[in-house]
Formats: sequence, structure tokens, C-alpha cells
Amino acid sequence: MSVRGLAGLAVFVAALLVPALGSRFYTFLANDVIIWALFATSLNLLVGYTGLVSFGHAAYFGVGAYVTGILMKKLAVPFVLAWPAAGVVGAACALVFGFFCVRLTRIYFAMLTLAFAQIVWAICFKWNELTGGEQGMPEIPYPDFGWIERIGASVPLLGGWRTAEYFYFLCTVLVAASLWALHRIVTSPFGRMLTTIRENAERAEFIGVNVQRYELAAFVLAGTFAGLAGGLFGIFNRGVFPDFAYWTKSSEVLIMTLLGGMGTFFGPSIGALVLILLNQQIVSYTEYWPLVLGTVLVVLLFGFPGGLAGAVGALSGRLLRRVRSA
Amino acid sequence: MLHVLTLLVAALLALPLVAEAQKPIKVGMPMPLSGPPALFGDPASKGAQMFVDEINAKGGVLGRKLELIVRDSKADANEAVRVARELILKENVDFLVGTLTSAEGPAVSVVAKENKIVFIAPIPKTDQLTAADKLHPYVFRVAATTTMEGRSAAEIVAKWPVTQVATMSFDYAYGQDVTRAFVEHLKKIKPSAQIVDQQWPKLGEQDYNPFINAQMAKKPEAIFSSIWGGFFVTYSKQAKALGVFDTIKYNFIGVGEAATPETTKSMGADYPVGIWGNSYDAFYWGETAAHRDYTARLSKYLKDEYPSSWAIQGYIGMQFLTEAIRKAGSAESDKVAKALLGLAVETPIGPLTIREKDHQANRGQLYGKTVKDPKYPFAIMKPVTYVDPSRFMD
Repeated sequence: MSVRGLAGLAVFVAALLVPALGSRFYTFLANDVIIWALFATSLNLLVGYTGLVSFGHAAYFGVGAYVTGILMKKLAVPFVLAWPAAGVVGAACALVFGFFCVRLTRIYFAMLTLAFAQIVWAICFKWNELTGGEQGMPEIPYPDFGWIERIGASVPLLGGWRTAEYFYFLCTVLVAASLWALHRIVTSPFGRMLTTIRENAERAEFIGVNVQRYELAAFVLAGTFAGLAGGLFGIFNRGVFPDFAYWTKSSEVLIMTLLGGMGTFFGPSIGALVLILLNQQIVSYTEYWPLVLGTVLVVLLFGFPGGLAGAVGALSGRLLRRVRSA
Repeated sequence: MLHVLTLLVAALLALPLVAEAQKPIKVGMPMPLSGPPALFGDPASKGAQMFVDEINAKGGVLGRKLELIVRDSKADANEAVRVARELILKENVDFLVGTLTSAEGPAVSVVAKENKIVFIAPIPKTDQLTAADKLHPYVFRVAATTTMEGRSAAEIVAKWPVTQVATMSFDYAYGQDVTRAFVEHLKKIKPSAQIVDQQWPKLGEQDYNPFINAQMAKKPEAIFSSIWGGFFVTYSKQAKALGVFDTIKYNFIGVGEAATPETTKSMGADYPVGIWGNSYDAFYWGETAAHRDYTARLSKYLKDEYPSSWAIQGYIGMQFLTEAIRKAGSAESDKVAKALLGLAVETPIGPLTIREKDHQANRGQLYGKTVKDPKYPFAIMKPVTYVDPSRFMD
């Protein structure tokens, strides 16, 4: 196993150990972080790997959250079906919207993604019977953990956790699997082709690549994983609200991606971690949290265009060289 | 990828450790403190803080001090849920008192239920909060409900010499619920009344002209409006310009606190003086010695000659909680929840009781016809009457 693989495994194990710290708040924070990490990584498939800047990625997140929420709450569908459904519907929406979006370039592409996201938001906000309108849909049930508790009764470590903690373990495993799948996608020949398109779409076209089709495929994949992240988030948040599809959520996830660094696979995850922790800490001290965030972003964008992951990578590289030369 | 791990560990260590000791009783308050709804949320939180300061000066409750932790819920259900969960998980609050809109209240109620923490809602009115299918042992309300408010207005309108009535409300939970309650009750107590028109602008509408014109074309003799807070300012200015109030001879009732001193003060000469409205409180009410004393203390606390009418809701919410803790002899939510059932408290507005069957206090509101009073630079309700809803809560 490569060093990267080992590091990834170490993070996964460390994440699984968080509830053992004994603080419900740490588990809460960690759960928030891992779901956003998946959401941000799904966006990075578009922004970082394909070079398509989407301002409306929250649409698929919101759709996923509503799909899982409605299925589990109103139709009592079990989680094993309701969660994948979030990905399927997220993909379907992305296919329809993406079909139009990839026909446009740059700013027009971005504007159209935003427009579609606002349509999704408006539907969630207005369709009172289905979505609960602006009051949202509280009380999404947790998946059934009865079986694991029954097994856990005889196996040490497995039993005796709270429902929220079982859900956290479940999220950790599912997010890890999703990230692994995304990693496989970006390192596959298909993923390399996306990078080629990002670097120079015209040349890619010259060598016979159907650029629009590749872009659409990336768009649908990104929508799928955003939908899956949304499905988990609705349960974690104990309710689904139209806000999930609002443009502020789209900008939040875009900021995470930029902050962490869109050049690396784990950059957006780091962005999610840092942004959520910063938010936590700073809002306890000042109401001018956006000012702090703005300053951090300006410094990063000018000083370290590669984001936090890029900055840390550059620093550790320099350090490594110095150690070697010494 | 090792730096991911390092960052994670460093960040977790940086979080402040929660000190365990004999602590004050912590009360979390999610309340809108930014944007237009802060006009109500901010004074409500100040009213709660005043109560806390006063009780702590007297030694607290059960020998422990009260500590109020207020967080901005941004008048948004999602944000309110988030803030409430953080208050419980991070600040380890023992109770929740708060929320303002009818979207926030039911959403936070779910959090309270899951965490088995007593939640007292001081302002949200929607019937759904304490409806039979949503009720749980930990949710209580000291605000009026849409049923109580709509019926109170119907009782008043029924006495007017009019039969052709129109309604103007926002198209969302609060607007729909309060209007339905008004219409049903009016038809019941005055069968000759007819609803000639109903307009449903969207929440936060800026241009009411199309709605007003369509409504006036139906020639109503009276109008019931539930356009609340700052939105009422926008609406009534446009209605005044179109001569609505003169046409219907001021047979107009604005619920959703259209006649608070804050609203009449902020509108000054633009206020359609002569209409009917309501308010949770009015510094000039002063019916009882307790209210006069409360107003004087609040005026000093807020350093405002004409103190806000919203502070009282935060105050009463904290008052009920404190009395319940005292009665239960404990700060455990299970015991306090039981103590709240049927609890009667002497509030500045009068004696209030939380009913056992639906956890709802018989909180009425002040109603009155607005007039100019030379004593104040703005319109007041005169005579102002406290409408006790006990007769028509079911």
C-alpha cells in the first residue's frame, strides 16, 4: 500500500475513534465535517478536475437531502434504499440541468448552474405539501440501528453507543467509501481525460474527445455524490430545510474547495474541516465572522493559490529538501 | 496526507475544554439577532436577561445562579436547529427558551424532544407547535397561538356594523393559520358576515398595490390583516396612499402586533391612526401595579423612555422556567417538565397558567383602537384591553 493509502487509512481510523473521546460535541462536529468533506470533494470533481466552476452545487445536495428525508419520514423506506435514492435523483437532476449547462462556457455556465439551483430552491420553498415549505421537514428518523445493538450486545466495542454515534460510524464508513470511489474516478483514464479538458478543451476536441459528453458525465457524477452527501446531512441535521439548496450553501462549499485547495484530492476535505472549525471558534468571539473569513481567503488566494493543502505541501516539500541537503 | 491528521488533532485540542463544577443553571436562547426580525428578537432576549439579572441579584434559584446564553438564529429554521443543538452539545445548557418565527419553533421543538430538554417557546404562534401530533413532554409555549389570535380578532370584528369582510395575509404557516382561525370564528359568532375577498401575498412582499387594488374592487367594509412587524409598515403606507383606510372607515384590524408602540413610533405621522391592532405589551397599559413596576424596571434596564413591547415575552418565558425549577426542586428537565404542567405564574401582564393538556399558556394580547394622544409623539391604543383567550382556546 502506498504512503498516501496508508495516510488515508490512518485518517479513517482516527475519524472512527472520535466518539471514544466521550464528547457528544466532538462527534457532532466530526460528523458535520465528514459530510461536508464529501460534498466539497464532489464539487472539486467539477471545479478542480474538469475546470467547470459551478455556483449551484447545493441544488443536488438539497435534492438528495429531500429525497432521503421524504422517503424515510413519509414513506418509511429503510435507509439502505433511501440513501442510494438520493444519489440516483441527484444524478438525474444533474443530467437534466447539466445537459443545458455544458452547452455554455465559463461565466455563462456558472450563471446557468446558479439559475437551476435557484429553481430547485424555489420548488423546495413553495411546495408546502411535499417539502413543508419554509418550515422545512423536521424529525427525519435515524436509520434503524437495532440490529447492530443486538450484535453489539455480545461483541465488545460495538455495543453501548448512542444513536447519534452509530450514525456517525455509518457516515464515516459511507463517506470513506464514497471518497475512495471518487479517488478511483479521478485517477482512472476517464479522470485523466477530465484533466486534459481542464487544461485545454480545444486540443482535447482536436484529438477526438467529445468534450461536452465528458463534461456532462463529470457533472452527473458530481451531482450523484452531492446528492449522497445531502442524504446523510438531512439525517444528521435532524431535519431538511429549503436552505440546503440555497445559493449561500453553494458558495459555502465553493469556499471550502478553494480554501482547502482544489489542486489536490483531499484539499476540499481539509477546507471543510478548517472552515467548520474556524466558524465554530470565531463565532463564539465575534459576530464579524465573515470579515475574518474574507481576510483568510484573500491571504490564501494571493499567497497560496493552491489553498491550504497546496501551502502545506509546498512548505513540507521545502522542509524535506532542507533536511535532505543538510 | 499526514498533515490531515495533524490538523485534526490540533484543531480538536484547540477547542475549549468544558469545566465541570457546581455550575449555574444554563439556559440557551436561540433568537433572531440580525436582520429585520432582530427588532423583536433582540428586545425579547433583553427581557430574558433582565429577569436573569434580577433573580441572580436575589441569590438565584435553588441556590444556583441562572446563566442565559443567547445565540443568533437568523430567523431561519435550519439555523435555529443548528444553534439549539450547539447550545445543548457544546454549552451543555439545561433548558432552551427561545425562537421567534413559526418556522423556527416547531423545528427546535424536535431537538428538545430528542435531547429530552425542556423548551419554552415565547413568541412562535403557529398551532402546529403544540398540536396533538407534535406535542411531547418537553415543549411548552407562553406565546399566543394562531387560534387564539384569530379568534380574538373575530370577537372584535363581530361587534362592528359590517358584514362584508376581506383578509390580507402572507402565504405561509402563520398567515394561513391565523386567517383560518379568524374566518371560522367570525362565521360562527356572526353568521351574517361574509368573506368577500382573500389576498395572499408572499412573505416579505414589497409591492402590495396589486393585492390592494384587487381587494378594494370587491368593496369590503372591513379588512383583517396579519401582515406582521416591519412588513406592516410597508403595507400600510401603500394602503394609505390608495385610500384604503378612509374607504372602509377605519374598520381595519391588524394582528401580528400591528399596533405595538415600536410600530406606531417608527411610522410617526404615516401610521393609519384609527385602525385596530394588537400587541403583546404596551408600556402605557399599566393596568396593574405589577405591570407599572415591570415597565419602570424595563425602561431603566433598556434606557428607553418607551421600552419595547417584545421584552415581556423573554421575561415571561424565563419566569415560567424559574418557577418550575423552584416547584420541582431540581434543574432536571424531566422534573421541570412535570412541574410546568398546570403551573400558574403571576406575570407582569397578569396571572397565566400553562394548561396540562396542550402545554399552552392562556396568553392573551392587548387589543385596541389606535388614537393620537397628546402625551406621546406617536399613536397609542385607547382604550387598550387585555383580551383573555381562556374562553376560546379550544
